[in-house]
Parts: sequence; C-alpha cells; structure tokens
Amino acid sequence: MTVPLLRVDGLGGAFRRRDGGLTPVLHDVSFALQPGCITAVVGETGSGKSLTALTILGLQPSAFVRRSGRILFAGQDLLALPPSAMRAVRGRRISMVFQDARAALNPVFSVGAQLADVHRLQHGGSARAAWDAAVEALRRVRIPEAERRARQYPHEFSGGMAQRAMIAMAALVCTPALLILDEPTTGLDVTIQSDIMELIVELCRDRGLTACLITHDLGVVAESCEEVVVMNAGRVVETGTTEAIFTRPQQPYTRRLLAASRLDAAAA
Amino acid sequence: MALARMILQRLLWVLPVAFGVVTITFFAARVLGGDPTELYAPPEATDELRAQIRAQLGLADPLWKQYLAYLAALARFDFGTSFTTGESVGADLSARLPATLELGLVGLVIGILAGIPLGVLAAVNRERWPDFLVRGVTLSGMALPQFWIGLVLISIFFVQLRLLPGPVGRLPIGVAPPPPVTGFLLLDAAFAGDWVLWRMAAMQLVLPGVTLGLTTLATVARVTRAAMVEALQSDYIRTAIAMGHGRGMVWFRYGLRNALLPVVTLLGGVAGHIFGGAVLLESIFGWPGLGQYALQAIDHSDFAALQGFVLYASLLYVLAFLLVDILYLLIDPRMRA
Amino acid sequence: MKRSAADATLDPAALPAAPPARRRRAPASWSLRIGAGLLLFYAGVALLSLVWTPYDPLAPGMGDGYLPPSREFLLGTDRLGADILSRLMAGARYDLGITLVAVAIALSIGSALGTIAGYFGGVVDTVISRLVEVFQAFPGLLFAMLIVQAVGPGVPNIILVLSFIGIPDYLRLARAEIRSRRAWPYAEAARMVGNTPWLVAFRHLLPNSAGPLLAFTSINAAFVALVTASLGFLGLGLDPNTPEWGSMIARGQDGVMTGEWWVSFFPGLAILGLTGAFYLLGDALSDLTDPRRRR
Repeated sequence: MTVPLLRVDGLGGAFRRRDGGLTPVLHDVSFALQPGCITAVVGETGSGKSLTALTILGLQPSAFVRRSGRILFAGQDLLALPPSAMRAVRGRRISMVFQDARAALNPVFSVGAQLADVHRLQHGGSARAAWDAAVEALRRVRIPEAERRARQYPHEFSGGMAQRAMIAMAALVCTPALLILDEPTTGLDVTIQSDIMELIVELCRDRGLTACLITHDLGVVAESCEEVVVMNAGRVVETGTTEAIFTRPQQPYTRRLLAASRLDAAAA
Repeated sequence: MALARMILQRLLWVLPVAFGVVTITFFAARVLGGDPTELYAPPEATDELRAQIRAQLGLADPLWKQYLAYLAALARFDFGTSFTTGESVGADLSARLPATLELGLVGLVIGILAGIPLGVLAAVNRERWPDFLVRGVTLSGMALPQFWIGLVLISIFFVQLRLLPGPVGRLPIGVAPPPPVTGFLLLDAAFAGDWVLWRMAAMQLVLPGVTLGLTTLATVARVTRAAMVEALQSDYIRTAIAMGHGRGMVWFRYGLRNALLPVVTLLGGVAGHIFGGAVLLESIFGWPGLGQYALQAIDHSDFAALQGFVLYASLLYVLAFLLVDILYLLIDPRMRA
Repeated sequence: MKRSAADATLDPAALPAAPPARRRRAPASWSLRIGAGLLLFYAGVALLSLVWTPYDPLAPGMGDGYLPPSREFLLGTDRLGADILSRLMAGARYDLGITLVAVAIALSIGSALGTIAGYFGGVVDTVISRLVEVFQAFPGLLFAMLIVQAVGPGVPNIILVLSFIGIPDYLRLARAEIRSRRAWPYAEAARMVGNTPWLVAFRHLLPNSAGPLLAFTSINAAFVALVTASLGFLGLGLDPNTPEWGSMIARGQDGVMTGEWWVSFFPGLAILGLTGAFYLLGDALSDLTDPRRRR
C-alpha cells in the first residue's frame, strides 16, 4: 500500500459531563485514508464516527477531552498544531461537507456571498472575481440558473440544492487534498440522495480528491467507496476494502450491520 | 412590497391603540383621580365658588360629554390646555420633546456603541474572566435604579472631583440657549457657529447621557451576549471555521450579523424604557423635558397635560416598534420572502 | 488495533483539558445559590426588623444630622438624624414585601387569564389579546405613576397598581405557553381519558408551563422592585418618612450635592442586592427549565 494521506492513530477521548466526570466516547480509534480513495466510515448513531471526523479539523465540541492519539496529515500531527497553523489547514488542505446543509449555511448572507467570501479567503483576488468564481462553482455542481440562485438565501434553497451549494463551497471553491463528508445525504429524499452521491463521486474522480465519507447508510457505501472503516461504540470494529467487508466480513458486528441493511433494502 | 404593506398595516394599527390609550387614560384620570378644584380653590371657598372653578376647568359637564369633547378636540390635534402652564398642551409637549429626545438619543448611542462590543467580548470569552466581568457590569446596570446611578455619578464627578458641571439642566445657569432651529441644543449651537455654547451643552449632557447609557448598555450587552453565544454554537459558524475563516470574520461578520437580530428587536423596548426613565432622570438632572412636565402634571392633577403626555409617549413607543420592525426586515432576509 | 506511543499518557491531569468545559456547570448553580441566598438574607432582615433594629427607624434625632458612618452609627445618619442602618433594615419589609405580594397577584391573575385565552381561543382570546396590546403601549413606570397618583397613597394601593401593570406580561407569556402545548400528545391523552377542558388547561397544561413562568416571574420581580423604589423616590404613594429605600434615596438627594453621599448611597446598594438576587434567580431558573440551554 502507498503512504496514507491521513492517518488517525490511537485516538481516544471522553465527554466531560456537567458534574465534571468523564464519559469515554472514543477508544483507540485508528484508520488510514489512502490518497485518491473514497473511504467510508460507517456505524450507527453514537458510534463516534462524526466526532472522529470533526476532530480531524479541530471542530469537536468543547466538552470533548482528548486523552490519546495523533492525527497524522502530510507528516504533521494535526492535534499538535497551533491554532493559526490549523486555520491554514482548514479549507485549504482539508475541507468538510456537513449533514444539514441548510443549517450549515449562514441564514443572513446570500449563498453566492458565502462562497465568494471563501474564495477570497483561499485565493485572494477582487470581489468581482470571487463572485464569478462562486457562480461558476454553483454551475459546476449543476445548480440551475446559478447566477440567480447565487443571490438567494439558504432558506430559499431546498435541502438537496443547499447540499450541492455546500459541496461547491467545500470541494470547488476550496481546493482541498482531503474532503470529509459528514452524513451528506441524511435527511434528503432518496432520489436526491443518489444524485448527490453521484456528484460527490464524480468530483472526487475528476479532481483526484481523497474523501472520507461518514455515513450510516451501507447502500451508499457499496456504490461509491473503495475502503470501509466500521465503527461501533467508539471503537473501530473492522477495516478493509469495500469488497472484503461486503463479501467476507470478519466481525459479528459487521455481519449484523450488513444483514440489517439488506433487510432494509429488501423492505424498500 | 412587503415592506410597504407592513408599514401601512402597522400605521393603521396605531389608530386603535391610540384610541385605547386615550380612553384608558381619560377615565383612569377622571374616575380615580383627585379633584383638581381642590388645588385651585381656597380652603374656605363656598360651594358656589367651587362650582364656578369647576366650570372654568371644564369639569362641570357629565363625564361622557367631557370624553366626547376631548375626542373631538383630539381629532383636530388639539390636546387641550394645561391648568398649570396655561398653554396649549400640544405646544408644551412639542417644546419639551427635543430636550428628552436629545438626551435619549445620546443615551441610546452610548448604550449601543458600548453594549454590543461588550456583549461580543463576553460571548467569545464565555465562562472566562471577561465574561464574568461583563456579566457583573450588566447585572449591576440592570439591577441598580437609574436615579441612584445618576446621583452617584453627580457625587463623584461634580461634587467630589469637580470635573463636570452640576445637574442644572441643559445649559449652565444664566446661559441663553442658541436660536432655536431643531430644538436640539448641540445642533442649534453648531448652526449658530457658537462652539463655546456647543461645548457647554455637551458638558451638561455627559452625566445624564452616561447614566442613561449605562442602563441601556446593560440590556444591550446582555442580549448581545446571549444571542452571540447561541450564534457561535450554530452549524453555520462551524462551517465558516471549517472553511478556514479567521476569528475576526467568524465573530464579526458571520456571528454578529445573526446575533444582531434579537438586539434590534430589543431596541424598541429600550426606546420605551428611555421614555419611562426620563421622568426620573430628568428630575435628578433638572432636565426641562417631557418627564419633568409629566411629573408636574401628576402633582397638580393636570388632566389635559397628563393625557397629552401619555398619548405622546405611547405613540412614540408604537413608532419605535414600527422602526424596529422595518430595521428587522432590512437585516433578516428570511423576513423578506 | 495498533497501540501508539501517545496511549501511554492516560493520566487525565497531564491532559490539555479545555478550561471552558471544566467550569461549564458552575455559573448556573452559582447564580442560583447567590440569588436564593440573598433573598433569604433580605427576608431574614425584614423579619428581624420587626423585633429589633439598632435604633428606632422612624424617629429622627437618634444622633446629629448627617453623621458619617461611624462605630456608633454604622452607616451614618440622615438629615434628620435618623439611623440609616435601622431604616435600611425596616425598608426590607417595604421593598421585599411590596414586590413579592404584587408579583404573586400578577402571576396568579395573569397566568389564569392567559391560560383561558390560550386554551379556549376564539372571541375571548381576541378580546384579551387586543386589550393586552393596548396596555403594553403604556410605558410601565409611567402608567404606575399615573395610577398611584389616581388611586391615592398607601401600601395596598401600590401593591394593586404594581400587580395591575404586571398582569399583561404574565398573560401574554402564559397564553403563548398554553397555545404551544395545547396540541401536544399528553394534552390529547388528558382529553381522551375524559378530563374537562378546564381540568386539562389548569391541571395538565399550566403546571407544565411553570418553569418559564417562574423564570419570568423572578426577572419581573426585579423590575417591580425597581418601580417600587422609583415611586418612593418620586414621593408617590408613600409617606416621605417611610423607610422605603427609594424614599430614603430621595431624602439624601440634597446631601449628595453637599458631600453627604452616604444617605443616598447605602439604600442604592440595598436595592442592588434585592433586584440582583431576582435577576440571578431568574437566570438560574431559565437555565434549568429551558432544555435548549441545558446542554
């Protein structure tokens, strides 16, 4: 195997409760993201997958206390970076798409303005150029009438459209090496879900992006990902290629998860 | 379009509110109030003399007749005549409004300019010492009576340190005001080019303005802090950080813009509070504004003056809320749809 | 899974634990403790003043006029030579008592009317809501001054006026609370098992709104205490010799101009403690009852 782009190494930590005690939530989480691959991190709600993803960018809730581990990215431990260096990594090297895109976009600025802000931050240039780049990015994610849509506000977007705009911001306006997607299709209609996943896969292939897809939907994983990390109760249960996980699962938990999703698919 | 329709709706709503206010004050004052005849009649006056005085004051008719007459006069913007000043109430109020407004605006500006940064400072340092400090200041600002803050400031800066002029009104005693144009002394003095006078008027404004500003600041900072804390925990702030935006951008553009929405809502209430507080503040600082006038009217059971004042204050209050709604519409795109 | 070297550092004390997280819980309970503690203290002082004060709070000439704070008169004397500490203690009866009774009345009437308006809706609701809007166009303090002057002096009248001006706020809050809960499953369930509408509204819905209502009550009490002091300061509704704190500040006003600051200063601190306690308690209560803020 090649050198991984990012390696999470023995990450462990706990939430500080209101009474001051600690509730352990992550135990020795380790996995690697291979360059140019889409890696899925799957698990049920509360398995610690989103928390792990947020920790990569230093966005974990303030109640989270890390107790061990490193996150190695391009030879640096992200967890040891000073805040200013971390800020230079965000957006520029690693970018992120969030679950509820309508809430993740700022309600009082037009969508185009938010993309343009990020463009100027990452690439400089004039306000005019940034706006054009924002509109172009929206067009690239196949938002119809991008020019007009850019002037609209998040509340005027549907969930699917907002997620497209979010992807445009995170993967096109930002030009990261690694894109983290935290449940990008959860809460969307099924048809929209597959459109969005298609878009994500296409963008990653076109730009040689490395992606980390956090999801609880195994159906999505089978179609789009090369590698899978299965998490449960704050632990990594099993890692492997998508084919290996789907055809030769080693752990009972993985088998249960697969069985449940097949029942799900059969019922649907 | 939405804006125009909303303004129209609100303006139409002012009418029934004004009617309600007029009716309530009229009957509250007449039915519950003392008989002003007693104030004007000598103690040994005969019943005949009393009746004569009553008739002169317009109180001889049955209550409903007085009420209808009052409404009819109001429809012609005639607020009646004050028993105490002998002038038309409308003229009295208009003459005193600039004093109250000038002080109120200075207080409001101080409160906003100091309150919003303090609220942001507290929110971004949540649960650390700047936060505790700001919360202490805002708590005291809200918990202390305004008139007491005024007296303490007078005691420190006038009586003890002699840094600022005493509480004798808008200008030092014996100084003539500039030729009236707007009624705002700072503006009128500037128009007249009299900068010595301007400075005197400004110095007189410092203590009452700061007193009012401190109370306003407390409320503004408190609401800003709460709104900012909530904004900073939101998904969109997380997005902004994830995209690599620095603190300044995150706090002041993405966070504050959202946090200002509740602050704007608050301003209507603050404006009303300033009017309510004017009564006390003006009596401390000898400020010849609406508050002093109202207090005098209350003391003398001066019905026309009192009713005029309450109506005036209520309408300004409703107007303040209308302005706030418009402002809100302008800064929150979700309201425009 | 692989174990890394970083795993060796499992000692929590050695970790860079985020300081904000550590103190997260503290402020709420602090404000609750300080607020409740101060209120109990004031109540204690008010009761104590019934049986003992250092000097007679109503009698002038306990010492010379305008004596500065000393061992004999801890907080000094006022213009008439009355002991300020004794008057402050007796004042707790007025400021605390008037506030508590007025707020209790406003809360009871306001939330009852609000519950009716919110639960039954219709014409009753429309009429009540419109009336509330008209009353809210009056600035509270002004309205209080006006009616106090109208109904005449006396503690009962002040209490009536203060509760009267408070009713619209409680009404509005209770109405909003009840309306938001009217359609909840537990209200539905209470109706299904045969409760009368009145029972559903007052036994099932209103108690569930107790949290927000009480939090508001506490914050409103601070406002009422301030209005009480303001009325006293203006000499409305109370005999000027009453040891109410606002009246005491008014009596010291002349002294402030000539340097005898203590006469007005200490009653202000007494007010700060009382209103501050209500604010702190209100903050703590809304933290406890607002699930969004209880993280």
